[in-house]
Amino acid sequence: MIDMERFGQFREGIKGLGSMAVPSTLSDDEKIAKAKQVFFRKIDSNMAIGLESCIHCGHCASACHFHEGTGDAKYTPIRKLELLKRFYRRELSPMRWLHRLYTRDVTTQDLMQWQELVYDSCTECGRCSQICPMGINIAAGVNVMREAMADAQMIPDELAAVEQEQCQGTLFGFGHDQFIEAVDAFRGQGLDIPLDKDKADILLLTTVVDITLFTDAFISTVKVMNNLGVNWTLRSCNFEAANFGLLSGYEALQKQASDGIIKEAISIGAKIVITPECGHAYPALRWDGANEYGQPLPFDVLAISEFLGQQVNAGNLKLKPLGKDKKFTMHDPCKIARHGGVIDEPRAVINALGVDFIETESSGENNWCCGGGAGVFLINRASDLREKAFSIKINQVNDTGADTVVMSCGSCRLNFISGADNANWNKNIESLVVLVAENLAD
Amino acid sequence: MSLLDFARGPAMQWSLIILVVGVTWRLFGALLLMKKKDLSKAKVESTTGASISTVFNRFWPKPQFAAQMSITLLLAYTMHIGLFVVVFLFSPHITLITDMTGLSWSGLSGGVVMFFGAITLASMIALLIRRLTSPVLKMISTPGDYISWLITALPVLTGLMAHAHFGGPYETVLAIHMLTVELLFIWFPFSKLMHAFLFIPSRAKLGAVFGRRGVKI
Repeated sequence: MIDMERFGQFREGIKGLGSMAVPSTLSDDEKIAKAKQVFFRKIDSNMAIGLESCIHCGHCASACHFHEGTGDAKYTPIRKLELLKRFYRRELSPMRWLHRLYTRDVTTQDLMQWQELVYDSCTECGRCSQICPMGINIAAGVNVMREAMADAQMIPDELAAVEQEQCQGTLFGFGHDQFIEAVDAFRGQGLDIPLDKDKADILLLTTVVDITLFTDAFISTVKVMNNLGVNWTLRSCNFEAANFGLLSGYEALQKQASDGIIKEAISIGAKIVITPECGHAYPALRWDGANEYGQPLPFDVLAISEFLGQQVNAGNLKLKPLGKDKKFTMHDPCKIARHGGVIDEPRAVINALGVDFIETESSGENNWCCGGGAGVFLINRASDLREKAFSIKINQVNDTGADTVVMSCGSCRLNFISGADNANWNKNIESLVVLVAENLAD
Repeated sequence: MSLLDFARGPAMQWSLIILVVGVTWRLFGALLLMKKKDLSKAKVESTTGASISTVFNRFWPKPQFAAQMSITLLLAYTMHIGLFVVVFLFSPHITLITDMTGLSWSGLSGGVVMFFGAITLASMIALLIRRLTSPVLKMISTPGDYISWLITALPVLTGLMAHAHFGGPYETVLAIHMLTVELLFIWFPFSKLMHAFLFIPSRAKLGAVFGRRGVKI
């Protein structure tokens, strides 16, 4: 269990986050020029075919938690790409010579209007792509929109504040020195943490949220790693898995953050890098890391849930059965499951716990997003939207009859705890790694 | 030159040229844009299987989404199957295609084809009503959607009229029918009607992106 008082302080802290952002000094002309540069750079053949293909059937709306939660047509996923489509039609489409005659150019006012659509009301969960009969990758398009907005310095203040801070080397006021102090404090509680080993097979990453708020997840991860007897380490200079460059869309920061981890892993000869229970940290390193770095990675990147599942399947991780009277269901984090294919591994862990496991109606790659991912949890003005989107999740979990919902993503956990608090929802919200550590067989 | 001669001659030739050149230009213009190699380690050795399966499995929604899509799906399939029957299984159309390509096959009786023409038109009207009344569709629809609807409906309507000898001298109605088809040929590459070709690369690319991550799509 986490300290709810500390959780309350964390939520209060978010309320003041936006005021810490340094305002943009770019002129409107500079903003639109920067945004267009990103559009030019990022629209490749995959994106172009998607932008050409929409038949305006509107099915994506029924797959979107923000549309379904609010009933407002403006949140229809494909509409979030309207500016990207407009730019593409005018500048890159094979028929641009014709489209230019009647298609308006994209302006900074348009971008500003679209900020809510690509940040507040889209977690890039990708569920819309599961329903789209044309197979359009809408989440990828929203990501390009975010990258353009970030380069134009037109992102929500809260994300701007965190992005600007991470560029300076800290997150929520937490950097190398604070991490060393925190590790010392954990060691003082008897936790054996192999910090800054010169060589290790496994580089474990963590997040400031796990060190300061979800300490149970951090402590559990350390216990499980030690229980497995593997050669692992945490590195104090590159411990942070969270990548606000990916969330805000600021690619320079995304590269800076992931390159730091990659170089660290290479320097210690790591064969595996494990991302903690942090949804976006996984794709940032697993799928984007090599592309940002410019060459294939000489190590594997595993989400902690993926690693735990592999260890259970290999017989290395033995768990005490909790009993069939415990009814569990699972929330699949979009970035790890739908965008990462990590679906069977966490289920292997839950099954090893010997509980009565009940799938939600839409699960795995089709799961409903909780509404808090991709930085949306930090955007204060999006709180109503998040709550409405989360109501779908509440119903989905309630329908299973389970008393406990398990997840392996800190962002989802934040949103679940917050959403449950707001809705007086009394399900047990559990971290997968915490469950594992609490039920180690020996 | 009579109107029918014009429709059968230069109008047909030029509209077909625009159709073929336009479709090729638009398809390859998008496909040939640069794409960086993905350097991340794929979970599968090849994504070909995922691409091919996505092209086909998107013809039908996943069970999780079927309920939301059922009415539109029924109407859309009725329209598409109806159009297929009307275009490719009507004997005069087969004769025309045989003259141009040498390919031939047997058609259905005129009455059956007209039945399909009527349900095609009915399903199109239902889809139009849905587009005009659904808040989501009203929000995302463009003038192009309505023009495409009209340009697709006109050949069906005029075809039914020609077959029923309704609306004027047969030759005139037939010429108008052919001209509406040619209008569709010309409009096709500039419009969303291109989805008849685009669905293949679009679905295949999505299948490849998610397939290399080991995700069922």
